[in-house]
Amino acid sequence: MIEGFLSLVVTGALISAVYALIAIGFTMIFGVGGILNLAHGALIMIGAYAYLVVTSTSTFAAVSVPPILGLVVAVVAAAAASLILYKGLVQYIEEDVIITFLATVVVAVIAAEIMTLAFSPNPRSLTPVVPGSISLPAVGLRIRFIEIAGFAISWVVIGALWYYVTRTDAGRSILATSMTRRGAKLTGVNISSVSTQTWLIAGGLAGLAGVFLGTLQETAPLMWLDPLALAFIIVVIGGIGSIKGSLVAAYLIGFLETFTVGVLGPEFRGVFSLVVVAAVILVRPEGLYGREFIDE
Amino acid sequence: MTLLSVQNLTKKFGGLVAVNDVSFDVEEGEIAGLIGPNGSGKTTIFNCIMGIYKVTDGTISFKGSDITDASTHEVVNTGIARVTQESNPIGRMTVAENIRLFTLPNDILSITGGAETEEIEALAARVGIDDVLDELPGSLPHADVRRLEIAKAIATKPELLLLDEPFAGLNQAEIREMSDQIRQLRDDGVTIIIIDHNMRGLMQLVERIMVINNGDWLADDTPQAVAENEAVQQAYLAGTEVFE
Amino acid sequence: MSNVMDRVNSTLGDRYADMNRLQFGLLAVALIALIIAPVWGGSYLRVLALGNIFAIFAMGWDIQSGYTGYISFGHAVLSGAAAYTSALILTHIAPDISVWAILPVAVLMSVIVGLLLAVPTLRLRGPYFSLITLVAGLLFYRGTRTASQYTGGEQGLLVGRLTFDPVLRFYITLVPMLLIAAALLYLSRSNIGTILIAIRENEAAVESAGIDATKFKIWSFVLSSIPMGIGGFLFAHFDGTVNPTDVVLIDRSVEMIAMAVMGGMGSILGPIAGAFLFVGLRDGILPAFLSGTERWLALWVVVLFVIVFARDGLFRKLWHRLGDDTEGDSE
Repeated sequence: MIEGFLSLVVTGALISAVYALIAIGFTMIFGVGGILNLAHGALIMIGAYAYLVVTSTSTFAAVSVPPILGLVVAVVAAAAASLILYKGLVQYIEEDVIITFLATVVVAVIAAEIMTLAFSPNPRSLTPVVPGSISLPAVGLRIRFIEIAGFAISWVVIGALWYYVTRTDAGRSILATSMTRRGAKLTGVNISSVSTQTWLIAGGLAGLAGVFLGTLQETAPLMWLDPLALAFIIVVIGGIGSIKGSLVAAYLIGFLETFTVGVLGPEFRGVFSLVVVAAVILVRPEGLYGREFIDE
Repeated sequence: MTLLSVQNLTKKFGGLVAVNDVSFDVEEGEIAGLIGPNGSGKTTIFNCIMGIYKVTDGTISFKGSDITDASTHEVVNTGIARVTQESNPIGRMTVAENIRLFTLPNDILSITGGAETEEIEALAARVGIDDVLDELPGSLPHADVRRLEIAKAIATKPELLLLDEPFAGLNQAEIREMSDQIRQLRDDGVTIIIIDHNMRGLMQLVERIMVINNGDWLADDTPQAVAENEAVQQAYLAGTEVFE
Repeated sequence: MSNVMDRVNSTLGDRYADMNRLQFGLLAVALIALIIAPVWGGSYLRVLALGNIFAIFAMGWDIQSGYTGYISFGHAVLSGAAAYTSALILTHIAPDISVWAILPVAVLMSVIVGLLLAVPTLRLRGPYFSLITLVAGLLFYRGTRTASQYTGGEQGLLVGRLTFDPVLRFYITLVPMLLIAAALLYLSRSNIGTILIAIRENEAAVESAGIDATKFKIWSFVLSSIPMGIGGFLFAHFDGTVNPTDVVLIDRSVEMIAMAVMGGMGSILGPIAGAFLFVGLRDGILPAFLSGTERWLALWVVVLFVIVFARDGLFRKLWHRLGDDTEGDSE
């Protein structure tokens, strides 16, 4: 019993870090531009498939790089895709909330269809960045190195992001813009540059998360929907536009999900999280660390 | 009879006290002015009356009933209407349609209620915009948009009309015209409170002036008395804004 | 024909902008084509019948989201509530009951679910209503799997069809669609429509007009739930199966929005056109060239183009082109 509990705690802690990556990217875009980028999940998928393409010979027999390099490729691919999405489409329609919502979700669906055509709808497995696992028979635990890697890399990246956003001028302008777009413009912040950075960072985070999710769970064309729903739930609970909120809520939801599935079974996946977010919206819509919608 | 009674009204925004323990009564048939420098709390008082802000402390009653916690539409339906400082017309509807919206009953089963064309024309005529009924607000000059705002307010058949800086952006001729229209409204039976940030526009129009500064009640008297009030003179730098 | 047109214009009164000859012609031709569809439809009759149902969904979404501007991202919850109510009753409670007897119960369930969503959230301004509808849709979908012993999980439940005759089935979907269209058109051009549009344009002004905006927002959701319930019922008994993928998957909600937007949201007529366009492409035109994943890809690419480049809706563009009409727009 204790082993089961401990194992759930460990899994929860590890997967929450990856969820945090996804949520932070999503909330940055929403915070900075007020844009609900429903193609965010698709960026995760692109990261996973990019990794697949370069690390396994199943696609291009001539191409096969070490997993670490594959990780870098995944991040770059997703970041690039994210920027192209913004510059090529979203920036022209971002004024219209409904059209942006619709267009990004349609783009996500189109991306999934393309993946299905290119890779077949069957789930694929990814070569772990760090293979193998470690056993701790004393506490009856077995942890895979990829889970530890996911945890460690996620936290390093989150730490780097935190530093960037709070200590560097470029990063601080992102924070400022997410608090008040008008105020930022008035103090000379280059909004276009902020948008570019935000979308690149969000894409990179998504790509990174995609590799880990794709390894720990599975890589399939439909993998864009669940992480998106999770990101969305986490962001609402944590507070729209708040990185700290996303972190805290990611852990809340990460543990909630892990325990729910571990104790009650996979049919209950997502249910309690959805109930929690519904309650949050009704009782405290700003979330844990968010701001009220005052000057909308 | 006392139409509006504001008792010990206090409004705080976090640590900032916007309105500090303000009390006043308005009698039926009065035209009163509410003046004070920018940011002194005048609009906040109107917002509290109209239910836009929740009051921190104090009560507001209208015709004897407590409206302190009433929502905006409830306040309007008891008989108070307000014209805001910034015009707020619905851009996609014509002037006539804008006015018409304000005559519609608050009834989800009402398909065909509301004012007929003649009534809307009459309302528009009272403020002098009956010639632009089919125009969109975006194509009207500033003065006409301000008049539209007043027409909308009186379309709800108010007994008390709150006007927030009605003369802003108008030239002398337009101010004179609007003052006449406001006086006519009062003669038609509407009690009026006007906000302005200087006394120049109000002197001839109102019988009573209330002064507020930094949320504090400063004076409440006839225009002449207020102009000579030392505390009021202190509040306005060099006193030139007050005299004229 | 101008006699008929003049008479229609004068009966409709001055609440409806006068139609000119071309616009009237367009509507008349479309209406007549639908009514005699079994004559020319051939194997496309099924597509047209589905089009009727989707038109109901798109209109239902429009009267609420298109008009008030409070966008529902989970409208399939309403039709899904009706569909599953019908399926659950027929499977677990009263398998021998006449299907039509369940219709009022199904619609009632749709309204109740609608109120559950609307009442707590529509008093808030901002995106919270939209977020809740999105979550509700996801929850409903998840819930079918969690409660799979009742709902049949991913397989769903089998329910009876309303009829096996394709012609009869077409008319069973057409009549409600036309009635709903007439009712919603009437409401949207009435004071209610004016207030809903005003809420979208300037909610503060509506409150200042002495009108309880929250009450009307909730009312629009109720007005939407009824056609959604009817549509959900018809959809459940169209092919006779009720499963989460066809009924409450988020894609279904997104499709409803896409249909309304492609046609022209905030107009009732636009969504009808958008629905037929969408279903026509999906089940009629594209299958001739493509199948499977490629067909879906093509479909969504077309949708993307339309919503990005014809944001106000194709039908609205057409209507205005025909009418040279420059009146203040929301119709």
